[in-house]
Amino acid sequence: MPTHVGILAPRPHRWAALPVARRPVVVAAIGIGLLAVALVAGIAAGSVAIAPGDTLGILGRRLLGLNIVPTWSVAEETIVMDLRLPRVLTAMVVGGGLAVAGAAFQGILRNPLADPYVLGTASGAALGAAVAVIIPVRTLILQFGLIHALAFGGALVSVFVVYRLSRVGASAPMTSLLLTGYAVGSLLAAGLAMAMYLSGTGLRQIFSYLLGGFEASSWGRLAVAAPLIALASLAILLRARSLNGMLLGEEAASHLGIDVRRERAILMALASLATAAAVAISGLIGFVGLVAPHVTRLLVGPNARIVLPLAALLGASLMVGADLVARLLGEIPVGVVTAVIGAPFFLAVLRRARSGYEL
Amino acid sequence: MAAFQRSRVRGASLLLALAFLISACGAGATTAPIQTLAATPTVAPTLAPTATPAPAFPATITDDEGTAVTIAAEPQKIVALTPAATGTLFAIGAGNRVVGKVEDITPYPPAADNVPVVAKVAAVDIEKIVSFRTDLVIAGGLGFTPPAAITQLRNLHIPVIVLYANSIAQALTGIKAVGAATGRLAEATTLTASMQADVDRLSALTASLPEPKTFYEIDATTDIYTIPADSLWSDMLMRAGANPVTTGSSYVISLEQVIAANPEVILLGDGGYTKPADVIARPGWSGIKAVVDKKIFPVDDTLVTRPGPRLVEGLKSLIAALHPEVAL
Repeated sequence: MPTHVGILAPRPHRWAALPVARRPVVVAAIGIGLLAVALVAGIAAGSVAIAPGDTLGILGRRLLGLNIVPTWSVAEETIVMDLRLPRVLTAMVVGGGLAVAGAAFQGILRNPLADPYVLGTASGAALGAAVAVIIPVRTLILQFGLIHALAFGGALVSVFVVYRLSRVGASAPMTSLLLTGYAVGSLLAAGLAMAMYLSGTGLRQIFSYLLGGFEASSWGRLAVAAPLIALASLAILLRARSLNGMLLGEEAASHLGIDVRRERAILMALASLATAAAVAISGLIGFVGLVAPHVTRLLVGPNARIVLPLAALLGASLMVGADLVARLLGEIPVGVVTAVIGAPFFLAVLRRARSGYEL
Repeated sequence: MAAFQRSRVRGASLLLALAFLISACGAGATTAPIQTLAATPTVAPTLAPTATPAPAFPATITDDEGTAVTIAAEPQKIVALTPAATGTLFAIGAGNRVVGKVEDITPYPPAADNVPVVAKVAAVDIEKIVSFRTDLVIAGGLGFTPPAAITQLRNLHIPVIVLYANSIAQALTGIKAVGAATGRLAEATTLTASMQADVDRLSALTASLPEPKTFYEIDATTDIYTIPADSLWSDMLMRAGANPVTTGSSYVISLEQVIAANPEVILLGDGGYTKPADVIARPGWSGIKAVVDKKIFPVDDTLVTRPGPRLVEGLKSLIAALHPEVAL
């Protein structure tokens, strides 16, 4: 993807010459273009070669109801409609959701290293998934197994515990949250290590959950997770004003009439909900939730109202693209790809940022 | 958080090594007793009361996970997701219907060489399986085939039979289940009857012999891995006239436990990588009886642990190592 770096991070003089107010429009246009390319490529490519015309025909017939005479086999239709389409859409929704959740956590905690997993969601979900693998129950409800349920529950419960514990101490709320998150996360990590040690032949299943991926995507899972992620992200966007206020500091925010404690709790709950739904269906995929908000802020400035939707676009494109690369390289872990693509991209944008960048 | 992830990755990479190791040996053993899950191939009752052979399909097979799998018609495009299933399908005459197989580091049989690979250890290529219009998948239980892949294949209405074996008896039931699922029950029954006869004959040969305490090494690169009790490994070893050192339910054993057990024979399941001389050179191992007596033998792990048609060969190789005086 080196060409994308060239597009998104033009030479400083050109970007600097662009009026600040126009930048979000340009970034949005590029983001939508990137996402469209990633989605099309994601549906067109895979381990089985299907002619582009047939792919378009299948989509037109099944999605738009066009009366196209099939020139393709039933198997090809299954591959496009039941394997590739839910997969790219899941990657899109998860990537967008993680980016919004990451932007929210970075704002709430005023910490550039915050990501969707910072307050214990990752370790809670991982422990939940590991316990689910150890418990010998194989029931599936709506294509959701115990592993999804416990990962979702584990993520939410651990954030709730972190939040409640952090309110007890005497230290500043944000420091307390971060440290409590770290402590609880370490405890859960110990539980995870123990569960992995005890899991015997289930070990590989736990490990593949920790690496994350979209190969098990299905319409049923998408239908449950996508509304949760979309609604939580939308609700966060509607609270962009609070996020902007918090960036100024707690005192300034309360001068603006923002009930900081309440808003922080609500935003945390929403971001955790989006994260939990994402990790339940796709496992722990790192980097997107950390980097997408930063790159967006570097390009368009800190206004959350603009950053949130653009970060979602960027996160979604990055995730769909990374999943495609992972698939073409023989189902390698998508988290590896997000880091390999995302880190140099992030560094390039960071180096080209002219003014000092601070969260 | 960063520290959590670092340590998680480090720990995980070690654990992954074990996972690969165990899976490479075939879906071998479990941590829990499984008697209740034994495969019971049941052919649907037929309505035709006749002299012609009863139609075998539709058939309902209860697999080793207790899932009742209905197969509408005789499968023509079969995918084998365990090396044992590949071997079994070819052994019962269904090899010409195998359209895809799992990657195998020690391929068997040679006739399957040209069958396309549709799965590697951790990744099953669902698209390929769908594109072959597969109508039956034989998968490995106990996590050998990723459970998510099994779920996905079943969502796509492809019948999946999940098999594993923790004993020779369960391996034979699994072969019969494959036979029932592919319309080759008669051939499978003939095969398992002959295997059972061979197993009985071979274990009778060793029944009256002294049973040397035997340590079966799966791997000792970092931690030492050996066999759990109630596994196909331990069943095979006992039939071969050994008294196996087992771990209970885990795979890891400490060097102290190995020394305390003081095995008379060491069998190297990792014989491709570890030589008897390596074992002799290991610090702390020099006092073990098998090391003193130089009774350390490599064995072919794929023969011993794959619940397929070559188990008898595996049993013979164990007896040859443990009781070289016995004429096979």
